[in-house]
Amino acid sequence: MSKPSHKHPTHVERAGPPLIEMKDISIAFGGIKAVDHASIDLYPGEVVGLLGHNGAGKSTLIKILSGAYRRDHGEIFINGGKVEINNPRDAKALGIETIYQTLALADNVDAAANLYLGRELRTRFGTLDDAAMEAECRKVMGRLNPNFRRFKEPVKELSGGQRQSVAIARAIHFNARILIMDEPTAALGPQETAQVGELIKQLKAEGIGIFLISHDLHDVFDLADRLTVMKNGRVVGTARTSDVDHDEVLGMIIAGKCPPGAVPGPGALQGVAA
Amino acid sequence: MSMAATDNTQTPAMAQEGAVTRFLRATEIDSRMLGMIGALLVIWIGFDAASAFVRGGEGLLGGSFLTPRNLWILLVQTSSIAVMTTGMVLIIVMRHIDLSVGSILGFTAVCIGTMQVYWLGPLVGVGHPAIWIITLALGLALGAAIGAFHGSLIAYFGIPSFIVTLGGLIVWRGAAWSVIRGETVAPMDKNFKLIGGGISGITPGSIGAIASWILGLVICAAIVAMIYNGRKQRKRFNFALRPMWAEYVLAVAGCIVVLGVTWVVNAYYWPKGVVDRWAQQTGVTVPPEGMNIAFGYSIPVLIALGIGIAMTFLANRTRFGRYIYAIGGNPEAAELAGINTRKITVLVFALMGMLAAVSASISSARLDSATNALGQFDELYVIAAAVIGGTSLAGGLGTIYGAMLGALVMQSLQSGMTLLNFESATKDMVVGCVLVFAVWIDQVYRRRVK
Amino acid sequence: MYRKIMTMAAGALVLGLSTLSAEAAGKNICVSWKTFQEERWKTDEAAIKAVVEGAGNKFFSADAQGSAAKQQADIEGLITQGCNVILVVAFDSDAILPAFQAAADAGVKMISYDVLVEHPDALYVTFDNVGVGRLMAKTMLEKGKQEGDFAFIKGDKGDPNATFLFQGIMEVLKPNMDAGKIKNVCETFTDGWKPDAAQKNMEQCLTSVNNKVDAVISENDGMAGGVVAALEAQGLAGSVPVTGQDGDKAALNRVALGTQLVSVWKDSRVLGKAAAEFANMIADGKAAAELPGVGKFSGGAKGVEVNAVLIPPNPVTKDKLNEVIEAGWVSKDEVCAGVAAGSVPACN
Ligand SMILES: Nc1ncnc2c1ncn2[C@@H]1O[C@H](COP(=O)(O)OP(=O)(O)OP(=O)(O)O)[C@@H](O)[C@H]1O
Ligand SMILES: [Mg+2]
Repeated sequence: MSKPSHKHPTHVERAGPPLIEMKDISIAFGGIKAVDHASIDLYPGEVVGLLGHNGAGKSTLIKILSGAYRRDHGEIFINGGKVEINNPRDAKALGIETIYQTLALADNVDAAANLYLGRELRTRFGTLDDAAMEAECRKVMGRLNPNFRRFKEPVKELSGGQRQSVAIARAIHFNARILIMDEPTAALGPQETAQVGELIKQLKAEGIGIFLISHDLHDVFDLADRLTVMKNGRVVGTARTSDVDHDEVLGMIIAGKCPPGAVPGPGALQGVAA
Repeated sequence: MSMAATDNTQTPAMAQEGAVTRFLRATEIDSRMLGMIGALLVIWIGFDAASAFVRGGEGLLGGSFLTPRNLWILLVQTSSIAVMTTGMVLIIVMRHIDLSVGSILGFTAVCIGTMQVYWLGPLVGVGHPAIWIITLALGLALGAAIGAFHGSLIAYFGIPSFIVTLGGLIVWRGAAWSVIRGETVAPMDKNFKLIGGGISGITPGSIGAIASWILGLVICAAIVAMIYNGRKQRKRFNFALRPMWAEYVLAVAGCIVVLGVTWVVNAYYWPKGVVDRWAQQTGVTVPPEGMNIAFGYSIPVLIALGIGIAMTFLANRTRFGRYIYAIGGNPEAAELAGINTRKITVLVFALMGMLAAVSASISSARLDSATNALGQFDELYVIAAAVIGGTSLAGGLGTIYGAMLGALVMQSLQSGMTLLNFESATKDMVVGCVLVFAVWIDQVYRRRVK
Repeated sequence: MYRKIMTMAAGALVLGLSTLSAEAAGKNICVSWKTFQEERWKTDEAAIKAVVEGAGNKFFSADAQGSAAKQQADIEGLITQGCNVILVVAFDSDAILPAFQAAADAGVKMISYDVLVEHPDALYVTFDNVGVGRLMAKTMLEKGKQEGDFAFIKGDKGDPNATFLFQGIMEVLKPNMDAGKIKNVCETFTDGWKPDAAQKNMEQCLTSVNNKVDAVISENDGMAGGVVAALEAQGLAGSVPVTGQDGDKAALNRVALGTQLVSVWKDSRVLGKAAAEFANMIADGKAAAELPGVGKFSGGAKGVEVNAVLIPPNPVTKDKLNEVIEAGWVSKDEVCAGVAAGSVPACN
């Protein structure tokens, strides 16, 4: 029955406690249950793809992890220990970095200022060291987007892809343990997308855990070790990418049908399995 | 700097550029600022020429506007609004507004006056040197506390700043009235009076010729040092350098402006009445042709300049300033970047309140009395100065020096028209039109730069 | 406009009136205040109450707390309570007209106090505002300068009082101006009567004429403060006479110091006393038209002719400072702060 479509190059060690475990998370906006008793986990050096239709609750779930929203219900564990994340500062202090779907850039300041927003480099007098920040920014951006030159312009004058590069640069620059990428390549060209793919593999090799939200199944199958599908705020199921194929995953996304290779969640369609 | 939008590393059409554009690019001068200075010069020359027709005087063109005396007074008259507008820029950059500054000014002024005249004066003796220090410190603390209170209501209770400060506009004006029940508190402490730039007895509220020249030279040296240091920084990181000639142009132009202003303030001499009083009290005999004792930089102008420099530093060179601009650019992004936007909001409003208290000190010291009407309508002029100076009400955009220049433009218009004996209704209409016109020009400019 | 026949007469007469109303015992005299929150009305009330009770009448008052509707109800209440005369400081002089009519119908006599209510049966008692301007100019001519370059610092352009005052001022100065003795070198309105705005205007004025100013007519004391500060910066304070009005403590101190010539003082106790004496007489059956010093006034918005008594204010110059001190308006210490010993009689 199972048709492994990909053989993943790396092996993920899942013996110890997960790097991140979000258990039974719920949040509602007014009457809308944006996330409904969702559980999800992530091991060091692992990439977990998060899939689902528009409005499924993917961004909301990871925003709870990044401190942007406060959950109504549920618990978060890091390396087995319970943590409280009440705001973005808490999340950053725990080594959680995020590339938001909306990018969350301050449009009126330049790339370097955005890169270091909230943790600026300072001179020994305590003033901003703009020159040093710009120099660092040139280095990071050189890795991600070698054609980028517009370091002095406010980022609102940059192209969508350039802005996305800045947002990615910001997330990877500060030695994150856990990286959340909410559709990081949506605006990127093929070359830049490939570069981000390489980057993800590299970060993974360094032992960083990554949540990757994407609508591109090829990307997910290419990069992720496991994937979790959400529908209407609930988790349909979680599977190793080696245990499921494209069509099964599409079925999970569209119909909520959990295939045998996956562990069903509370959002799985009942009575259709096996 | 992140707010300056010039980059000379990638200019595809360098060759086709005109000389002016090339000059601006090389020197990295903000062309908006040049435009404002140009407008200011046009206004000044226009008023001098016009007043030459009406009455004549010793001005550059035979009028009474471009005289050291008028320019000196103009700077003093601008200082109170200029001080407050530096804070208003940051508030507007953060997408807020503060309508209460005039009322905070009035309230703190009457509190300072009351402390000086009714409490401390009788307590430690009128004229005691501690009076001005204590009342100034308490006044600043009071202003900051009021601002922080407004800021907390905005940041932690989620009430829009327009509403909170509109309430403040009414409340603090009323509070000012209650403190002194509509009376005028006078006279202010004789040392405190110097903050206003007037003459207290025979002590002028200005620093005299020698100190002014020294100060001018120190500022020149600072300009040169800054340019040199900037070049060194760029070299350190291998960034593109300004051409050498541009560095020289900047240094020389900067020094000429500073020394020119110094020359002007040193060319305004004590009026005869004051010289006579001084001679009488010090026993000096004045020669029949009179004596020329220069005023030099006045204290309120120095305060405004100092605050302008400090606020520019704060806005451009500190985290606090960076966060203010980032919040203005995208409040949600700033919050997600881990910035404590609420704390920053409270601090900015507290800073604004404190600046209003500084202006309260300048205004009441200058008037030598405190009344509950002091600072009325000032909020409008402060906001107008910021807007004329290029601050965008949409947030995220604005400079301290621009706003201060805006204040100078507005005061120049008002002073000039008063000098020409314009009707006050005409004055109001002109200032209102200039406000709208300036913002329109700004929009046109921004679109063309893009 | 103002009929000015009675101004001076009334002032002289009110002082001697209290004895006349002695037999008015047992009547009810009532006051309806627009808002008693404002400090000044407490002074008026004390003066009115003293005169009313001194004549053996009873005093009642109601506070409308800044509401036209409440004031109307207040007056209706006072009518039912059996007031013989009601003094009204109207909050809204139009909205209050029905209440005045109701009083007239019930045979209760009305006095509009300080604020004009255009009802033909009501007596209007107020200070003579045009008279203030005349008094300023007159004092300037008598005790300041008769000729030279004059600067005029007027009040807010939106306030009709600023224009009334200026009319009065010009009336008196006109002969000298026509004769070329007085030259108007600067004339400006001042936003909101603000002292700091007056200071700026005066600075510009001095700059434009290169300090050649011989006298300044400022329309109130607050602005006079700004004017004096501007003069002081040019070493001219004290040598250029400045006018003002209101009897501000700071201004009276300037009068003592010699930097301000005069502060025309509208003593609300004088107004209250006069109004109360008229109320006693009316309660006693005297017709409004027969009161001492009464004249016809039709200067309101609707031009209704009413009986009116316009009380002349008091021009306080250096030699009259003892009057304000003796009246208890200000303390001697406040007036005499910083005054050199022996230079002002009132300060000795
Ligand atoms: N701040 C908010 N206030 C109210 N409703 C919200 C808010 N954020 C998200 N929602 C709602 O929650 C649900 C989940 O939204 P979410 O952004 O998590 O979807 P998503 O899975 O990321 O979708 P997409 O693929 O379009 O990015 C949606 O119905 C959305 O309208
Ligand atoms: Mg999303």
